[in-house]
Amino acid sequence: MKSENHLSRLDESKLYDELSRSNLPATKRWYAGTGALLLVVLASVAAFVYMMFTGLGVTGLNRPVMWGVMIILFVFWVGLSHSGTLISAILRITRATWRAPVLRGAEAMTALALMVGGLYPLMHLGRNWRFYYILPYPSSRQLWPNFRSPLLWDAVAITTYLTGSLLFLYFGMIPDLAIARDRAAGWRRKLYTFLAAGFRGTHAEWRRYHVASTLFAVIIIPVAVSVHSIVSWDFAMAMVPMWHSTIFAPYFVAGAIYSGIAGVIAVMVILRKAFRLEKVLTPDHFDNLGKLLLTFTLVWGYFYFSDYLTAWYSRFPEDWEVIRSYSGHYLPIFSLLVACNFLIPFPLLCLKRVRQSIPAMFAVSLVVNVGMFTERVQIVVPSLARRNDPSIWGTYFPTWVEISFIVGSIAMFALIYVIFSKLFPVVAISDVKEQLFHTTDRTIGGANFSTVVSGEGKEEGRET
Amino acid sequence: MRTGEPRVVIGLFDGVEKAAQAAHALRSLPLPEENVTTISSVPLPDGAVTRDRRPIRFPWIVVVFWLAGALGGLALTLVTYQVYPMITAGKPINTVPPAIIVSFEGGMFAALIATLVLGFRSIGLGPFRSGKKVFDRRIHEGRIALCARVDTGEQERLAIEAMTASGGEAVRAEEGEL
Repeated sequence: MKSENHLSRLDESKLYDELSRSNLPATKRWYAGTGALLLVVLASVAAFVYMMFTGLGVTGLNRPVMWGVMIILFVFWVGLSHSGTLISAILRITRATWRAPVLRGAEAMTALALMVGGLYPLMHLGRNWRFYYILPYPSSRQLWPNFRSPLLWDAVAITTYLTGSLLFLYFGMIPDLAIARDRAAGWRRKLYTFLAAGFRGTHAEWRRYHVASTLFAVIIIPVAVSVHSIVSWDFAMAMVPMWHSTIFAPYFVAGAIYSGIAGVIAVMVILRKAFRLEKVLTPDHFDNLGKLLLTFTLVWGYFYFSDYLTAWYSRFPEDWEVIRSYSGHYLPIFSLLVACNFLIPFPLLCLKRVRQSIPAMFAVSLVVNVGMFTERVQIVVPSLARRNDPSIWGTYFPTWVEISFIVGSIAMFALIYVIFSKLFPVVAISDVKEQLFHTTDRTIGGANFSTVVSGEGKEEGRET
Repeated sequence: MRTGEPRVVIGLFDGVEKAAQAAHALRSLPLPEENVTTISSVPLPDGAVTRDRRPIRFPWIVVVFWLAGALGGLALTLVTYQVYPMITAGKPINTVPPAIIVSFEGGMFAALIATLVLGFRSIGLGPFRSGKKVFDRRIHEGRIALCARVDTGEQERLAIEAMTASGGEAVRAEEGEL
């Protein structure tokens, strides 16, 4: 049976133009938007410089709550970064037919969110100009990092994950960079020629490229899981009520994937609107992402309840005091996180018409991320504020410096993403083309279907 | 005119069927299967036009790098314990959990670097690229470039004829490698 694939119906030049719309020369609107983001980031940097010269006293940090917004932002952004590469890797390995338009945006989100998140532990250090003390190198002071500190594990894990995510993002872009190289001019052509590294698209190159990218995906998955496990151990290794829990690592990983999927959905909605990708990112893609989000709503709910139940039932006095604070001083935070992470998204995501509605999915993804940010607040603050000795109990509220870090982190992520999308294709063009090439129409009875070819061709005459 | 440089006959085809027909004609000349390949903007299934019979082996180098990275992480943490001995009950003890974590991350870091190097090497990208390679930008307009390495002038003539007869466009011979 011969059939026409979907790609052959399209003019590939036009397809490229449509998918690489983000790379068009910058407009006045782009400069205005980027400039506004830059101003917000600069304001946040100014607040950081003020903090650096004045000391951590300008923050709301005080005994007993010595971890605040900077650690919350670190956990939040690392969590958000978690899902992009993980989703992309899983979709690549399973060769999910709907993966193509989602891959690049998700992979970029991981690398860029990690860049933002990785800054905050360094900012939290105090005496930031001595950040290099965490690097292992022989020095005249005989200083050496103490690997018994979980913060050092973070440094190692985030370096690995950031490097891996950037390499994964880059390797996945090579065929698209080759297309861009052959169509660009000037400095862009030089940049793409260098980055495409001579990729041409011969049969052997494609075959080996697929094997290598699958290998990358297989290796990056345990790294992604390990990173958020290690972030959870920053907490779980401390003898602090409600932190010292064996379930923390899988609970953090589940939460990170949950917020990451919501992040991917939000980014996809924005990219779709900004670069008019309606033909590529269809409601079906959001439906599939919505099902993933629904699954992780339940997984997160299960872990949260399990973690809570153990402490609730056993009623160790120090744990119980923290739990009591959830219904007292921290009731607004507790209510917001339960509502945003479970009570609102769960029933909504069960409805197909919500999953297929792009504005609704955008709203749900934002609600989930507000919920996940609140969850990070709840993990960090109440446990420290209600530590074992009631005589040192205290409260924490962020100052304007820390609030500027929250706003600045969002602006910084948006700014880096905007610049990335101006330089590189935000849609995996060759993956979209491959998907179209492998898709043909088929009629069964009175119904028409799109079918996707998968696997390798078999030689004629050979048993399959 | 032949200059002793490797020569490749290259032709453009509108669809997979025509390219497959031309590839079949080239193999019937006969040209060895490994001397015929395609350049395309999308990966074609193996056997659709040409076949790549070179085996793809288990990436042992990634495993070796993983072990080297893990050993590096272990060495780093062990040195740390020597510099900052944790005296417990009068004796220095090594703490195993950090060593496991840092070794794992060190191993994964090295494995990721090895995968990139291995990918570049097996594809022949960047520093592993050698010689002048044939190419035609028109693959981005949806064409499939069929390429055949030829050793003699007679093979070159026959390959051009075979591609042209199968509907190839812009069929020509170029100096370069597949």
